[in-house]
Amino acid sequence: MSERYSRQTLFPPIGKDGQERIRRKHVLIIGAGALGSGNAEVITRAGVGKLTIVDRDYVEASNLQRQQLYTEEDVAEKLPKAAAAEKRLKAINSEVEIRSMIGDATPEKLAELAGDVDLIIDSTDNFETRMAINDISQKFEIPWIYGACVASFGMSFTVVPGQTPCLNCLLKTIPIQGMTCDTAGIIGPAVQMVIAHQTAEALKILVEDWEAVRTSFVSFDLWRNQYSSMKMSRAKDPGCLSCGEHREYPYLNAENMTKTSVLCGRDTVQIRPPHSEGVDLSDMAGKLKALGYEVKGNPYLLSAEMETNRFVLFQDGRALIHGTKDIAQAKSLYNRLLG
Amino acid sequence: MNKVLFFAHLRDEVGEESVTIEATGKTVAEVKALVAEQYKLQKLDSAMTAINEEFAPNDEVIKDGDIIAFIPPVSGG
Repeated sequence: MSERYSRQTLFPPIGKDGQERIRRKHVLIIGAGALGSGNAEVITRAGVGKLTIVDRDYVEASNLQRQQLYTEEDVAEKLPKAAAAEKRLKAINSEVEIRSMIGDATPEKLAELAGDVDLIIDSTDNFETRMAINDISQKFEIPWIYGACVASFGMSFTVVPGQTPCLNCLLKTIPIQGMTCDTAGIIGPAVQMVIAHQTAEALKILVEDWEAVRTSFVSFDLWRNQYSSMKMSRAKDPGCLSCGEHREYPYLNAENMTKTSVLCGRDTVQIRPPHSEGVDLSDMAGKLKALGYEVKGNPYLLSAEMETNRFVLFQDGRALIHGTKDIAQAKSLYNRLLG
Repeated sequence: MNKVLFFAHLRDEVGEESVTIEATGKTVAEVKALVAEQYKLQKLDSAMTAINEEFAPNDEVIKDGDIIAFIPPVSGG
């Protein structure tokens, strides 16, 4: 064992044996934004055997305030986040096998990647992908760690198939919220606090210290000095379609997925979320105006425009993203604004 | 009487960290509807509910003195 991990192996719950276990593991990180950057860096430095990171976006100037793997140079080159992350992670620890994938983490892609994965760390910005991760986790019996943050608020929960409730037990449906890092802002420490919770759980799982895994749902607000730990002993739903007695893995099913289509000849992508609760258009209009969008609307829809971004949002959550034929780019804008 | 705590943007929308209401005997779903109407909140349906720091389903009945917390799941990352 090299000197490199000596401070970590001195920590008794890890030890030399734990370090060997970490070395044999493959971690899949979905998303290479703020949480993905930080989670990937901690896990890479900790000496995991193999790390796969997936992201569909590219690096922008507004990322640099909190997305710790990226530099001004990455912004200038408009590098895909997955590629920029791979480059930096390899420079941090050449012993780790780093693989990056540029694109959407669709259920098909997740199933393909899940094969030899020991742990999935959620670093996405939307619940549709999280619900797909949740179903993949149950189907392939891979633990996953939910993490999310907005403004000064963050939360995390660890899902261990066969032991804990799953995300579908808790949420039942995909919440549409209209509050994301792009609309409500986000401060670096909220990101780091979520990363700290997720990576501590990750290390416990990688060294197979199952007793130490946190069973409560943690949430905190660093600005308001709130910290809450919600016990989950009664949260497991026996009728849950993802982890219950009669499983259907609903979020691996195309019916429950956002439908996207490129509208021919219009340079427009249509995005239609599944089973939407609907969007409060006047609330959304206010948020978009605050971001600098020029917003027009009527009771049925709003149209918003800022620089090259142009889109129309309908009350049922459907959107037309203009000026692009790129589905990943359109979905990225949609999720950034609507979650 | 019951104390109700609000987290994340719910706290901003209500304007207070907590309020006291009479929720004894009501289900979680009924309290959500009541609080949403009273404080003009749009998105309480998808908020998770804790009673005395323990996750509670929508059909759980509130007892006198129970502390209710509404925690909205957030999606940023």
